Amino acid sequence: MRLLVFLFTLLPLSATAQDGGGLAAWERIYQVTSHPRCANCHVGPDNIPLWSGPSYGDTRAHGMHITAGESRIGAESVLCSACHVATTQPNDTPHTPPHIDGDWRLAPVEFEWFGKSSQEVCTQLREPNRNGGRSFVELADHLKHDAFVAWGFDPGGTREPAPFTLEGHVNDMLAWGAAGQPCPGD
Amino acid sequence: MKLKVNGTEHQIDVEPEMPLLWVLRDELGITGPKYGCGIAQCGACTVHVDGQAVRSCQLPVGALAGEVTTIEGLGSPEALHAIQAAWIEHQVAQCGYCQSGQIMAAAAFLDVNDAPTDAEIDRALSANLCRCGTYPRIRAAVKTAAAKLAEA
Repeated sequence: MRLLVFLFTLLPLSATAQDGGGLAAWERIYQVTSHPRCANCHVGPDNIPLWSGPSYGDTRAHGMHITAGESRIGAESVLCSACHVATTQPNDTPHTPPHIDGDWRLAPVEFEWFGKSSQEVCTQLREPNRNGGRSFVELADHLKHDAFVAWGFDPGGTREPAPFTLEGHVNDMLAWGAAGQPCPGD
Repeated sequence: MKLKVNGTEHQIDVEPEMPLLWVLRDELGITGPKYGCGIAQCGACTVHVDGQAVRSCQLPVGALAGEVTTIEGLGSPEALHAIQAAWIEHQVAQCGYCQSGQIMAAAAFLDVNDAPTDAEIDRALSANLCRCGTYPRIRAAVKTAAAKLAEA
């Protein structure tokens, strides 16, 4: 909360003083959303999570013929939580299923990010009917409290984290929002 | 800590980080669930927690929330679960090491899909490896069990 107040004090200044500050913040946000650590579970209606990383070569479908189904949690076949159990104990051994303190799942299908352009993801994130009904402050709040997001920046073991830091990502979300949520192509 | 396995309460004195599989096999002597890979890639350790298939090698016992059922509690020799009966009918097992996990995964799957297609069976059971390659018989047994459960 203190951080939020601090940012709101600074943001109007930086947004006006620095032309295009909102777009610059957006470009950093897009580097996060398009990173495989995040995009691999923000997949489209085929509901198949992806694997990638230094030990995988090209991005590939999740092993074991896994599909998360329309439920996006695997309820139709094998639940994600069959292996990605909900626990505070991380699972850092290479090739073990990561754990978070919450239900492992795909993001809702309308939040498809994998392979999407900066403009596409940007417009999706600023439209409340496609972003879970969230204002930019609520988006930032979601980032601060979601176990998945925290894990993405600190996935443990030899897994490659999302770029930048969680705090930086939250700040970029607030800066982008305070600048009016500009998107490329506006 | 306390846990309930196959309807019986057990009191155990272990570190909460200990995987459920270790608790079952080494602490409680319930050896139906097998150790295969230890990293949730083979499915040999599959048990049910409140009816849902879980890889017991990945579940720290401190995070266990629910009742555990192992192959020993799924059915009995006198009253086999439909999937166990179908397993025998189709003589699925070759070496048999994976079958405990296969059967537990199949039983949980039939609870959510009572008339699966071949493709759906392949989707649901591909996370359970069989090094003997008995997959065609596994698929046939799952279909037979589904048909038998539909009659019941």
